[in-house]
Amino acid sequence: MHIDYWREVKKSGPGRAGLAAITAVAALAVLAPLFTGHQPGEYTGAIFHPPSREYWLGTNDVGQDIWTHLLYGARTSLAVGCGAAALSAIVSALVGGLAALSGGITDRVLMRLTDSLLVVPPIMVAILAAAYFRPGAALLVFLLAAVMWPGGARLVRSQALAAKERAHVAAARTFGAGRLYLLTRHIMPEIGPVIIAVLVMDARRAVFMEAGLSFLGVADPAVVSWGKMMQQALRFSYLDVWKWWLLPAGAALSLTVAGLAFTGFALETVLNPRLKERDR
Amino acid sequence: MLEIKGLNITYGGPPVISGVDLRLDRGEALAVIGESGAGKTTLGLGVMGLVKGRCTGEIVFGGRNLLAMAEDERRRMRGRDMAMVFQNVDDALHPLYTALDQIVEAILTHRRLERAAARKRAEDLLRRVGLEGSRAAAYPHQLSGGERQRALIAMALANDPALLILDEPTASLDALTKGEITALIKGLIKDKAALVITHDISTAARLTGRMAVLYGGRIVECGPTAELLADPRHPYTRGLLRSYPYMAATKDLQGIPGRMERGVPGCPFHPRCTQKIDLCRRETPVPESNGGRLVACHRGGIVPLLEIKRLSVSFGPVRAVREAVITLHEGETLALVGKSGSGKTTLARAVMGLVPAGEGEIRLEGGKIDGSRDFYRKVQMVFQNPGESVSHRMNVLQAVGEPLDVQGIGNGEERLALVRRVLDEVELPSDDGFLKKYPHQLSGGEVQRVAIARALVLNPKVLIADEPTSALDASVQAKILKLLLNIQEKRGLAILLITHDIALARKVSDRIAVMLNGRIVEEGPAGRVLSSPRHGFTKKLVEAVLSKCPPTQPESQDSSLP
Repeated sequence: MHIDYWREVKKSGPGRAGLAAITAVAALAVLAPLFTGHQPGEYTGAIFHPPSREYWLGTNDVGQDIWTHLLYGARTSLAVGCGAAALSAIVSALVGGLAALSGGITDRVLMRLTDSLLVVPPIMVAILAAAYFRPGAALLVFLLAAVMWPGGARLVRSQALAAKERAHVAAARTFGAGRLYLLTRHIMPEIGPVIIAVLVMDARRAVFMEAGLSFLGVADPAVVSWGKMMQQALRFSYLDVWKWWLLPAGAALSLTVAGLAFTGFALETVLNPRLKERDR
Repeated sequence: MLEIKGLNITYGGPPVISGVDLRLDRGEALAVIGESGAGKTTLGLGVMGLVKGRCTGEIVFGGRNLLAMAEDERRRMRGRDMAMVFQNVDDALHPLYTALDQIVEAILTHRRLERAAARKRAEDLLRRVGLEGSRAAAYPHQLSGGERQRALIAMALANDPALLILDEPTASLDALTKGEITALIKGLIKDKAALVITHDISTAARLTGRMAVLYGGRIVECGPTAELLADPRHPYTRGLLRSYPYMAATKDLQGIPGRMERGVPGCPFHPRCTQKIDLCRRETPVPESNGGRLVACHRGGIVPLLEIKRLSVSFGPVRAVREAVITLHEGETLALVGKSGSGKTTLARAVMGLVPAGEGEIRLEGGKIDGSRDFYRKVQMVFQNPGESVSHRMNVLQAVGEPLDVQGIGNGEERLALVRRVLDEVELPSDDGFLKKYPHQLSGGEVQRVAIARALVLNPKVLIADEPTSALDASVQAKILKLLLNIQEKRGLAILLITHDIALARKVSDRIAVMLNGRIVEEGPAGRVLSSPRHGFTKKLVEAVLSKCPPTQPESQDSSLP
């Protein structure tokens, strides 16, 4: 069974929509300075200015350009999301893969640890920890990764266990292959797509949690973020500004999260052909 | 009565016979077998004193060394004390005299008899061999091949010699005539010493009690005929038997690679031998006695490669393999037959180190296996389902080259060359286009060939094939098994074939082991196991296959007649 995952994802409707959304957000984030003439912290001289040619989404209570905030907020969201997801996926792969390949006592210890972390609701831990640390972007990445990896580890372990029993892995063992060779040449390629799926799902959760933490105001207040934009906009809900302050931030967050979710679903469908059957 | 000691015969070039030792007593028949050019006829002629070349050594007959005798004396012995039945060729009889006249003359050469008495004796002799009346008085060209052979035998018996040398007595005869002549000879040589020189193993088997195998002028194996045929110990003997169409043999015919060369230093068979070591190139092996058998081989005959001794494998409370004992010899196929779930695959996986072996031991070439990388250079496995055992992420080049990769053999270019060669060997294309194909672009048969190529790329001595063809249709199966047998012939590959199909095992294996509930319940030569199974389960297996055979002939054809 040889599947070109990339092509399959591109073929599915949700996959294409998701990829388009992520690409758009990522492009805006990366090319932010091209789309705006302002800096996020810059005072423009106009407070609560409604949208105009100069200020596309108007300005906020301290005279900063909201469109610029939105663009730079995308940077934070994606950076934290991708960073946390990557870190979490690496930990998941290491813990899950090691447990599956080693078996025995190593497997049991690692899996009990994973299980005990799985029963703790991650958002609670994240809020408490964030309230204590007031984390900046880098620390947030570590914090989110720390609460997200157990789910992925379980998934990787089960897939690695299945991959380990495949005949071509057994065949490679009969050529005299060692553990490292098996892991890098046979098991990792086999479970690679699963790790990518874990990565995408982790990214979605990380983006959402980052927004949530900054909305609650427990993250570093100096970081420009969509969550913080919404929190600040809510304080002026009696004014008209929510239309161009609160709504765009919410929409951008929704778009990003939905994009990641769609991509994830598409990947899951490709990886698990039974889901595909049911769709038809 | 006849004792040959260290006989060498040369026609000037390399010796045709070298260092032959043989003993022959009265009432005993000894067969000398071997392919043409081995020196069989020269040996017979040497004993008769008719060889043109130079003989050294000793031929002791009746207590006297023939080689030390004067030619006159030897001539007097020829025909009287020893006689040769010559190979039945057109000029073995004089074309201008009748068979009767020629025998009369043979009698008169050695005895002072009246011509009438000699004639009477000649007629008696011809009657004894089955030529009477007009047939006896016919000219050679009027006789059939069988009749000429009878006349030649009668002529050899003319003076009732004590030693009879028969050179290809049944060559170029049809099967029925051959049977008659063989029966005739058997009756005639009872009280004589007979040296039967032949390449026809079935004739040799029926006529003789002992057998010597001659190769390149040397005796490579000698022993009681029945034992030697059932259990050949020298690789050449086995090759010879495999290429002979026996009725009892079930395996497809196989040849011996290469051809006989003369004047080879060291063991005469080493250029064609698949288990040769350096020593074989340098020194000539001396025949050594081994359980009533003389074998001239530096390795003591066909070596046992893989020995499984009382191996047990358990999965928790389930005992999948119980005290299994199997020995796999160099260059042979051993079929492990049994129902699914009988532990066949577990046994194979335990040998390959894929499941931990419980009790017992597994030895390779006499040494205990230690799961090291080197073990896998010598023992390889082909798995049941090629689609799964070849990673779908690897193209043909990567898949076949993977064992080289793992073992760290060669650089990129050398690996490519090895991969191409082994692909040629399994009859797959080896062009760049094919090398870049992925398993899903190939047919099932092709993928299994890729898997086989991958298993062979390290040039292993043992191949464990676990139902290698169960996923393939019959025509592809046939091709793949023929391929394996060809490689076995060429390289001396020992194959442990795991199958549930006893009919398949019959065609490709030398020996069959039957497994039931983790135990080996029966093991033996394929022909014997199939024709007279000893264990009840084997009987059932054989019967189940027989009942599936298509009817060979309609019972009666009368009904179709008008």
